[in-house]
Amino acid sequence: MTDGRSLGRPAWLGRLPAALAHPLTSDRRLVVAGGATALTYAALILSTFPEFSVQLLARNPGDLLYGVATLTRETYRSVGWIGLGLIVAYALLAGVAATHAVTLSRRARRRNASTLLGVLPGFLAAGCAGCGAGVLGALGFVGAMATLPFDGNLLRLVGLSLLVFFLGRTGDPRTCAIDRAESS
Amino acid sequence: MGDERSISRRRAIAGGVGVVALGGSVAYLATRSDSDAGVYVPERSHTSQETTGFGVELAGRPIAGDPDAPVDLYYWTDYLCPFCAQFDQETLPAVGRNHVDTGEVRLVALSYPNIGEYSMPAAVWSRCVWSQVAADDPAAFWRWHASVFEAQPESGTDWADEETFTRITEETEGVPLGAVDDCRTSRTEEIRESMDPNVAVAQSSRIRGTPGFVLYNRETDTAGKLVGAHPYENFADAIEQVLNA
Repeated sequence: MTDGRSLGRPAWLGRLPAALAHPLTSDRRLVVAGGATALTYAALILSTFPEFSVQLLARNPGDLLYGVATLTRETYRSVGWIGLGLIVAYALLAGVAATHAVTLSRRARRRNASTLLGVLPGFLAAGCAGCGAGVLGALGFVGAMATLPFDGNLLRLVGLSLLVFFLGRTGDPRTCAIDRAESS
Repeated sequence: MGDERSISRRRAIAGGVGVVALGGSVAYLATRSDSDAGVYVPERSHTSQETTGFGVELAGRPIAGDPDAPVDLYYWTDYLCPFCAQFDQETLPAVGRNHVDTGEVRLVALSYPNIGEYSMPAAVWSRCVWSQVAADDPAAFWRWHASVFEAQPESGTDWADEETFTRITEETEGVPLGAVDDCRTSRTEEIRESMDPNVAVAQSSRIRGTPGFVLYNRETDTAGKLVGAHPYENFADAIEQVLNA
């Protein structure tokens, strides 16, 4: 396997394809990634208007699909395709990150807890992207995101980039990455 | 073990199909058309100078329904808010016909400008339109109100400007554009300041987004709150709860 750094690219970028392909390495990982993606999308969309979502689901949990559908349209009409696309992209990456977390936590249980610590920054980045996608709404006006640069899309992009970086840094979580420049 | 380590064609196809399905579903949900229930024009509208038991100032605000209705429905809205448009077009007609026109609920339209730069000017337009038609042709206000929400495009807030609101006002039967413009010229500051107390009532009720609603039983002094474009059934249940409280 070619090391990314030898091609003049950052090492994490070279490992990114393997990281993104990890859910495709077993049926169970694919199912976990799909489930985590769906859950993350629902959570992010519902968090764009938390007051509404809590009321809706408290009255009737069966209205979950109504809430997701309604807020998907509301999000599109508020921030357009770019904002909605960033949320979808984040949900997909969160699905990949979930399979990494399962694999790494198994490794951590077999070896030592320090491996698990490597997962934490990725999840913190995930949380950051979550903020960008909607948790700010819980702290004030639902229109709070509209006051941020590019209607909050810049913040979403930063969160998404952090998640991509941490996924790339992990690479294929079944293997230990060796940075050739540091090891030589 | 080989299955555990390799990326099979089958899983790659399944993953690709999943991504396309997610993208397609989101695109469908984002762009599906409103289930438009028609324009709601209340059978009766009226004015009032009172401040309600809940602390809402009614002077200059559009009020629909029976003045003696047992329940008040305070409706905080922003003409630039897509969620408000959804409520107005999909749910308000049913709430109006089943609860306002029957004398059960009095609907008070209140401004809560919070979405974009033109939210406040739009709210001023609204108050000025009402001030010109309330006495003789209050139905014209509700036609104007519905036309503004109908003018919202698929996405964005750029549509809201002087030109669009002038056109809508001009095209709404029964609304005198010249008098509305005079009102905007002379009363904008006064109207802006008069919005603060009712926005403060919304905020003290922990309403942080639009559309926001408070249902208030005027006889028993009890209230309930809804935030967002809930389905009609939730409004019907909430009205019944407050009515029986």
